[in-house]
Amino acid sequence: MSPVSIEITGRPASQGIGIGKTKRLVKKQQVIQPEKINPADVKYHLEKVKKAKEILNSDFEDLKKLTKDPEAEKILEAQIQLLHDPELEKLINSKIENDHYTAIYAIFSSFNQYIEILNSASPDWASERTIDLSSIRDQFLKAIENKKERFSVQSGDIVFAEEISPTAMIRLSDVKIAGLVLQKAGLTSHAVILSQSLGIPCVIGAHWNKTALRDNMDAIVDGTKGKVILNPEDNYIKQFKSLQKDQESKRKTILKWASKPNRTKCGSEFTVRANIEFLEELPRLVTHGANGVGLLRTETLLFEAEEFNVNDQVEFYKKVVEASGDYPVTIRLFDAGGDKLLSDYETEANPFLGWRGIRMLLDNKSLLKKQLEAIYRLSGNYKGRVKLLVPMITGIEEIESVKSVCAEVEKKLKNASIPYDESMQFGVMIEVPSTVIMAQSIAKKVDFFSIGTNDLTQYTLAVDRGNDKISDLFDSDHPAIWKMIKMTVDAAQKEGIPVSVCGEMASKPEAAACLLGLGIKELSMNPASIPGVKSMVCNKTLLEMKKISDEVLKSEKVSDVHRIFKNGLKEK
Amino acid sequence: MHARPSSVLVKEASGFQSEFFIKLHGYKVNGKSILGVMTLAAEYGAELELIFEGDDENEALKKITELFNNKFKTD
Repeated sequence: MSPVSIEITGRPASQGIGIGKTKRLVKKQQVIQPEKINPADVKYHLEKVKKAKEILNSDFEDLKKLTKDPEAEKILEAQIQLLHDPELEKLINSKIENDHYTAIYAIFSSFNQYIEILNSASPDWASERTIDLSSIRDQFLKAIENKKERFSVQSGDIVFAEEISPTAMIRLSDVKIAGLVLQKAGLTSHAVILSQSLGIPCVIGAHWNKTALRDNMDAIVDGTKGKVILNPEDNYIKQFKSLQKDQESKRKTILKWASKPNRTKCGSEFTVRANIEFLEELPRLVTHGANGVGLLRTETLLFEAEEFNVNDQVEFYKKVVEASGDYPVTIRLFDAGGDKLLSDYETEANPFLGWRGIRMLLDNKSLLKKQLEAIYRLSGNYKGRVKLLVPMITGIEEIESVKSVCAEVEKKLKNASIPYDESMQFGVMIEVPSTVIMAQSIAKKVDFFSIGTNDLTQYTLAVDRGNDKISDLFDSDHPAIWKMIKMTVDAAQKEGIPVSVCGEMASKPEAAACLLGLGIKELSMNPASIPGVKSMVCNKTLLEMKKISDEVLKSEKVSDVHRIFKNGLKEK
Repeated sequence: MHARPSSVLVKEASGFQSEFFIKLHGYKVNGKSILGVMTLAAEYGAELELIFEGDDENEALKKITELFNNKFKTD
């Protein structure tokens, strides 16, 4: 009798279909009991610690050679340093020599002692990812138990984990795994971004731990739909295999569009840029045909940096600009708050209507100044290629306040004779309905508009997309949203400033065609979507796209817009 | 002290023969131990006492002082 098939639903995180054998990566919370040894065995146990350290050291060194990511290299270097910490060594050895504990308990308790001290000294150290003491402790323990299967994931495995650390992800990226299923992790976590850039199908928020999952079961991961099937029936496997083949050949055909010129069928030019958050994504700028970065998200910098300093920021931005060839990079100021709330801030009743984006920055002038200084310094080396984008603007007062802080930063740099781009473009996000209504006045004050369609949708339709009961109301194709985009474009054209769209909408081929029809010339999206969007808009004339947008603007219901996008326009 | 500057400090200090200790609020740690330095929980602006003992103590002092002045940037 064949085993029962089990289906697990999660959230789609990285497209594609993976078929393989299950493999769990479970963090075992092991507790080592204090056990005493015969004093005659002290030497043997000291030697054991030394050997385990050597094994771990060469493991880390090997990994360091493997990775090309400077951030990952730093993490590994810090881990190696910790491994050779003289105080840690003293503590472990003394527990063996003086207290006659086993090597394994000496390591376990020594690490725990430091974890405890650090927890009480600075409670936020644990959130730093640079040095993960408990993970090194566990690796040390495994090395001393001489467990060979320390990392036994094989090519073709579908890996199930609670979440995945950056180091584990580096290891996994070396083995060609068939899929990744995570219980936790967000759509913008390192693991997810990396699986996207490596083309590994990934599903997150899948509670596989609540099922009878064992290792070595047959499994299918559908990263496009966010589904996992354990013990699939044979005909199911067949179906998915042919689907996988289709997707693969489709992906290859579409990817060819990446390198084609950005021209519509009638020869009109447009620009497609990438939304970027992590350095790992940068190689995709070239492979997917992005004309630079239309939206650089900087929140991770703020959340992950141990110390927020100007130089580190400049370094980060520099890497992004360098990877963009001759194209520009639009840097958005920290858009923190809402769903990305900092942990030590109080929770708000309505975070999306609360203290976020530029509201938070204007209350945190030193933070704002540091970021502006970094961006200005950068602009000095790349004149004309760095643009500044301000999030969550609701009115002209905020623009004036930000500009006065900019003036202070400019003055400081001038006094210090540090060069900056004096004509750096200053733009605002159009994501709150008030800015659409006031668009023409705002257009007089800024150099460009960037429409954030996700937030514009949620604020216009009063829908919290995270709320399951109403999330089906969240639809950027609502005619009201299209009318607002039209209003924004009209205002911008009257004042002669450019408009780009950087929300999810731009990444949907049909909607992208409609945006060009409205007169928008610049789209920014996640790099993976660029080829697909180009395959659509390069095949249409501007007139055809204008007809689509005219029709969409006449729509009265969401379903009308859906129908237009689904069926295309009837030839007359 | 945060992980990254601690790491830079320990790396530099370990290159010297001299013993190196850091004192803060009467608490003394081994400056060549990353765990030791991290447990100091030194905030920005805290006053630290640096103690070097050994043959190359002067060179070590010079190098480490430089490091503090450059805010732990090495290049």
